[in-house]
Amino acid sequence: MVKDKATVVVVGGGATGVGILRDLSMRGIDALLIEKLDMVNGASSRYHGLLHSGARYAVRDQEAARECIEENTILRRIGKSCVEATTGMFVQVEGDDPDFVDPWLQGCKDSGISTRELSKEEALRLEPNLSRKLKVAYEVPDGAIDGFRMSWQNLQSAAHYGGRYKTYTEIIAVNVENAAVKSIKVRDNVTKEEYEIECEILVNAAGPWAGKVAELAGLECNVSPSKGTLIAFNQRISNRVVNRLRKPSNGDIFVPHGSITILGTSSITVPDPEDTTTSWEEVEDLMKTGEGVFERLRDYRILRVFAGSRPLYVPKGAEGGRNASRGFVTIDHEKEDGLKGMMTICGGKFTTYRLMAEKFCDVLAPKLNNTAKCRTAEENLVPEVPEADKKAARQYFPAYGVNLAATRLGVEKFGEVVKTLKEEPESREVLCECENVTMAEIKRIASEPTSHSVADVRRRTRLGMGTCQGNYCAIRSAAVANKLFKDKLAESSDSLSDMKNFLQARWKGITPVMAGKTLREAEMTRGMYELLFNVNGGRRG
Amino acid sequence: MELEERARDTADNCIACTSCIAACPVTKANPEYKGPKLVGPAHSRMHFSDPSDYEDTLMLCSNCKNCDITCPNGVSVSTLNMLERAKYLQEHPEAHRPEDEMLSHSFKMANMLNSIPFGKQIANLGMTIGEATGMMGVMGIAPERKTPRFAATYFRDMFKNIKQPASDKKVLFFPGCYIDTNDPEVGVAFVQVMNENGYEVLMDNRFVCCGSPLVVGGYIDEARQHADTNVAVIQEYASRNIPVIACCTSCSLMLKNEYTELFAQSEMKEAAQNVWDAFEFLAKLDAEGKLKKVAANSSHKFIYHAPCHLRAQGVGLPAFDLLKSAGLNIVNADAGCCGMSGSYGFHKDNYETSMKVGKDLFDAINSDNYHKVVCDCGTCRMQIEHGTDTKSVHPIQILAKCYKKS
Repeated sequence: MVKDKATVVVVGGGATGVGILRDLSMRGIDALLIEKLDMVNGASSRYHGLLHSGARYAVRDQEAARECIEENTILRRIGKSCVEATTGMFVQVEGDDPDFVDPWLQGCKDSGISTRELSKEEALRLEPNLSRKLKVAYEVPDGAIDGFRMSWQNLQSAAHYGGRYKTYTEIIAVNVENAAVKSIKVRDNVTKEEYEIECEILVNAAGPWAGKVAELAGLECNVSPSKGTLIAFNQRISNRVVNRLRKPSNGDIFVPHGSITILGTSSITVPDPEDTTTSWEEVEDLMKTGEGVFERLRDYRILRVFAGSRPLYVPKGAEGGRNASRGFVTIDHEKEDGLKGMMTICGGKFTTYRLMAEKFCDVLAPKLNNTAKCRTAEENLVPEVPEADKKAARQYFPAYGVNLAATRLGVEKFGEVVKTLKEEPESREVLCECENVTMAEIKRIASEPTSHSVADVRRRTRLGMGTCQGNYCAIRSAAVANKLFKDKLAESSDSLSDMKNFLQARWKGITPVMAGKTLREAEMTRGMYELLFNVNGGRRG
Repeated sequence: MELEERARDTADNCIACTSCIAACPVTKANPEYKGPKLVGPAHSRMHFSDPSDYEDTLMLCSNCKNCDITCPNGVSVSTLNMLERAKYLQEHPEAHRPEDEMLSHSFKMANMLNSIPFGKQIANLGMTIGEATGMMGVMGIAPERKTPRFAATYFRDMFKNIKQPASDKKVLFFPGCYIDTNDPEVGVAFVQVMNENGYEVLMDNRFVCCGSPLVVGGYIDEARQHADTNVAVIQEYASRNIPVIACCTSCSLMLKNEYTELFAQSEMKEAAQNVWDAFEFLAKLDAEGKLKKVAANSSHKFIYHAPCHLRAQGVGLPAFDLLKSAGLNIVNADAGCCGMSGSYGFHKDNYETSMKVGKDLFDAINSDNYHKVVCDCGTCRMQIEHGTDTKSVHPIQILAKCYKKS
């Protein structure tokens, strides 16, 4: 049954997909994005959140380096609400190859990336936790970018231009007539209902899943999912991005994000993009390298470990893994395979998502006789919350965190949340004390049509992503969830199961690092939920 | 030298168990306060990215340290609060209250008055007039309170006239501001007790205020200077095997624990090994069989209040134990914080909270016909006399009296 139609359907709610949806919508093309789970649940949130300056690629791939610095500059301008303009450092410690410095400096210069040499004293003053074995340090314009916020803000911008999106909507078949895509069949993963969506062009932007989507149309797309494992620490170890100045390798990037630090990453070729398992060995490997830069790394508390799959595109006969190109490809299946109305975009980097969308849409738009120019670099993703609004909000916010909440929510929703806080004093309750999320914000996000579980709310609010990893907010938000969306829970039938799923997802990231300080917290959680609340329903005897 | 273990890193130990909030007397009395967990460990994670965004209820913390006492994981909660407060006030000088400067720097005033003929008497008269005319409230001081009067002769001057038997066994006394300039009789009693036990008491005029009032007022850099000055003196005496003893439990906590927690210097940690609370030292003598026998022959009934800053030292209740085993009829009030917490209760804005916190203690004291309240801390004693009709006394004064009688 045909239930919906759009000129273009984009499959995949990651950075690539949302970038394309925004670009198409701004060109005036009717587009609909579908995502099989919640938005941004793949590699676009499962990475270190580094807004590359390009310096990491300066030696090996200057084209990528140039793209990075250009996009970095654009995103700092248009994405003020999702970019933390921290700057970054490239450092060498005793034992690192001093001969790597000159070619790297030359590469940065040739690629247009500014570098500034820092004396050892200055570097240690700026970042006191750096190793005393520090030899050289350079400042570069790296930054941090929040994958969740960036993606939702792209969607918000796209929606402003008429773009639409559906979560929990999975493509299960491509209907082809006369060598042209006619429609796709999808399944609503909440209601399990199956239906058709008519379209003129199908865009496969499924990242590491792109091969699977191509298969639905009987095509081949050689994507090699490359798993990257990352560690989240409880605090900011540094206030700037810190890179190891050497040939890119595992565990040499630290990125501060709000209250935490992320250390990454590994690069392991895996057969299945769903494989986001992590192991103690991978953690150990990252820690061993990481403590070269921060000597006391093992004293810092690990919050969790997580992994994502990079969608590396491998042309036949080429090498995968760390040496695979971080560039991206646009495949026009009409040209390549004789199938009209289908295009695939594959590979690429988060930092250059906008440029990828621009180049891709430059190929797509003429097929629809659309000659509009790309405007995504000209306009801010979302309007910023005015300082005056934030100042006024402070008296209702129960604690610090006004700025963070403002960047998460955006002008409209921030205004609504502040209004609720003002009118309903009980909504000022802080449900997530570690990340400072109020009941009002949780209620507001839970009421969104895309929210089906506490985990969905988590990805948009940072609920449960701080020190206690859901220990206190799980039970509190379950009560809110029971009221607000018990009818539309995605993966479970009741709010108790939803709470357990939420905690279980937290535990997935904690289990491989369950030692020391992290273990103590886990025991606290276990004591509360398994013993005190008996959530697993154990009985005596 | 900078220590490896720093209080600001202990935030990582927090398992968010909320014990500190349950134990916090201020949170209980004033729901406006978000509690130690949110202000210290949680907030210290957050503000890094955004120094402008502060939790301003961190000004409500009294630094009583019950959070530190209760924490099962060794988080220096109150010190994190104080470090946060100092940063907050550096970024937002407008958040300073007008009385902060005066309450944190009373040592300056006290020193100045001692150099003017009749300075102290004039100041005391000024306070009497100020209290009568409501001027204290205008200055930000709780108008309900009686401001402590300066002693006619400071302990530092009294000490010069005390004749002590010379001895090879010496201790260095750290009088602290309150005993020195307001309550010198406690110092005199300390000298008597030490002399009875064969010790000669020394003073060193290079000592300055321990810095506790500076820390709570956000003057962290000044507190660091005071710490460095005092630590150098302590180290000098340590090299001569002369222990440093304080009768004020807030001073001794500062010298023993807080310097190291706040500033993470190895010298401070080493110096702390040579600092004792008076009764901690006497209890040690007792344990070694070196304490001169003492018997309390009083028909009166006493009640003991353990200062929070004594409990935070983790040395038990040595004064209570010693007086009880000497035969004194004394009970432990065991009623938590008195609510004064140094200069905290003097702030007009804190007065209500301070009195609410102290209510359990006041009730315990009023529940029976106690002759006196025994308490090691000067500001606790002020609060007790303000909140009840019972007089209070430092345990060293009782001990000195017992020795005198025998």
